[in-house]
Amino acid sequence: MSTASTGGWRPKDAEAVVSAMEAKVSETLASEIPTDLSAEEAARLRQSLLDSLPREAAQDARRLCRLFTNKRERLAKAEEKRLRKEAHAEQCVERLSLHLRVQHLIMFSSCILLIVTGLPIKFHDAAVSRIIMSFFGGPSVTGLLHRIGAVGLTFIGLYHIYYSMAFETGRRDFGLLMPKLQDAKDAVQQILYFLGLKKDKPLYGRFSYIEKFDYWAVYWGMVVMITSGYILWFQETAINQFGKFAYDIAREAHSDEALLATLAIVIWHFYNVHFNPKRFPGSLTWWNGKITVEEFKEEHALEYEEWRLSGKIPQEEESSTGTLGRRGE
Amino acid sequence: MRSTSPGLCEASFRRRALPLVIGLVAALCGVLVWGQEDVRCLGCHGKPGFKKVLPSGQVLDLFVDPTLIRLSVHKERHCADCHADVNEVPHKELPQKVNCRRCHYQGNTEGAPQTKRYLEFENSVHGKALKAGNTKAPVCQDCHGDHFILPGSDPRSNVSHANVPQVCGGCHLQIYGQYRESIHGKALARGVKDAPVCTDCHGEHTIAKPEDRTSSVNPGNVSNTCAKCHSKIVIMERYGISAEQVATYNESFHGIANEFGVLKAANCASCHTAHDILPPDDPRSTVNPKNIPKTCGKCHPGANANFANGRIHINAKERSAGIVFWVALGFKVLTISTLLGLFLHIGLDLFRQIRTSRARAKGGDKAGEERS
Repeated sequence: MSTASTGGWRPKDAEAVVSAMEAKVSETLASEIPTDLSAEEAARLRQSLLDSLPREAAQDARRLCRLFTNKRERLAKAEEKRLRKEAHAEQCVERLSLHLRVQHLIMFSSCILLIVTGLPIKFHDAAVSRIIMSFFGGPSVTGLLHRIGAVGLTFIGLYHIYYSMAFETGRRDFGLLMPKLQDAKDAVQQILYFLGLKKDKPLYGRFSYIEKFDYWAVYWGMVVMITSGYILWFQETAINQFGKFAYDIAREAHSDEALLATLAIVIWHFYNVHFNPKRFPGSLTWWNGKITVEEFKEEHALEYEEWRLSGKIPQEEESSTGTLGRRGE
Repeated sequence: MRSTSPGLCEASFRRRALPLVIGLVAALCGVLVWGQEDVRCLGCHGKPGFKKVLPSGQVLDLFVDPTLIRLSVHKERHCADCHADVNEVPHKELPQKVNCRRCHYQGNTEGAPQTKRYLEFENSVHGKALKAGNTKAPVCQDCHGDHFILPGSDPRSNVSHANVPQVCGGCHLQIYGQYRESIHGKALARGVKDAPVCTDCHGEHTIAKPEDRTSSVNPGNVSNTCAKCHSKIVIMERYGISAEQVATYNESFHGIANEFGVLKAANCASCHTAHDILPPDDPRSTVNPKNIPKTCGKCHPGANANFANGRIHINAKERSAGIVFWVALGFKVLTISTLLGLFLHIGLDLFRQIRTSRARAKGGDKAGEERS
């Protein structure tokens, strides 16, 4: 018998099943064989039934074996997965606090609303713009939604400035985000590393030059868009105060910066968090704030050192519930 | 008997001459008969000064100069061809207004032009007014004339390009006065062939109310109507006017709102007016910088002189836009350089990752140490 699966049933067991079934069949035969058969026929019938028994029993046995081992394998896999998840969970650290994640959420929700309601005006010739406009219910409603997004963005921008001043973590992060000469050196080293001319990547602290660029680009973008946006919104007051040319400048800046910001987010930011082969299909850090210790060590080696020295790295103990910070390898 | 030429004897002469004479007489009779129809009308109506004084005191001039008709497109026609309800002379009743559709319809066999214009006219604001019973609404002869109708290409015609404003002005007196003072009217008076007249903007037989969505002067369509001349460089360069005005309007917020169906947004006529169009350097012009606050103030209450502090029709791609040009250029440079930089960074990153994974697949340990 070819029970090649690990552990469990052996040929002897199959034989035992056969004998048991033989005994049972004899009983049945004794009661079920029609009495009007001649002794010869009855004997022949009995014999053919008995002959087919081993084959059927073997089939049943094989089936039972398979079911058993499949279930064992399934359970083993599930257990393995659970253990792996737990292992990963133990290996995650919180990089983004809830406070930061909520700010990010409000910001990108406002941004998406602004982009979707604003680009149809910039590209008013395109047929798809007309579709989007009528989807929202016409230019007036679209304009209203855009202003709602604008208020949201203004609020979060101001709140973030407040956060950067009033909260300890906000102040610390803001200080760490300041561009330094080291960032230029890091950029050069990184490019050389990409080209294969340097063996090692640069070591980064909490924020690499890429993250600093993302932060300040958004800062610049928000300042430009909010300022020019309010000039466009309250155009009579603005023109009366500053002259029509100020309105024209605001319109140009608003239109051009919108495109630049949208492209930068869709291309650059999305690459960094979604399309980078290291992270594909996407990182959930924006949701749960966590990254794995490996990623921490690799991407922010200097910060990892600090944490280790101050004892903040969880060793083997449980530190948090299991979540998927990064796809396991 | 004369013997001038061989073969020409009296008998043969008579033979040849007789048909000729008969023919002539017949022709003369024909002419008389043919002319006889009109002669009966012209017996009264052909006398200069023939008129009727109505009880209201109004004087109807009933003189019809037959030579005019003979010079017009209807030179082959008789009085009764149009005035078909006149059966006897003198006619006791006032003849009805002539209905030109007796002959002027698609598929006519009278020799009139084959045209569907009478149908267009029915759907026009004039035709609808007529149907509603407005006795002042114009019919064909009110514009084309009655006894001296000529094709529009003839400069003497009522409907020739240069004469149109006067014809329309016969009813639309105030607007005619405004038009004459406007730059278009003045150009027409100078003999400028490009100058638009009423029909160039409003149409000829398709004239519709501005509230009508199909009208060429509906707020949603005005910029297209003006564009017929004001977007053509060939025409505009003759007068030193920019051919970009319609395009810059279309790119402005007013133009975009208009495009998306917000009809209360400003169109060309909102600022330039429809019939009082004057160049910006004219102190009476609505687009003179001194008058801009008032013009813009029609929709933007409280507008002050700062509204004129900047170009109205502005193309950010042109240097004439001043500081706006530099802002646009600056952003263009910023956008392109930023995106190029980002693309390059992404490309190099991927390049390195691919190299590393290939090396790892081939070489094992040595490359495996270098993690991308």
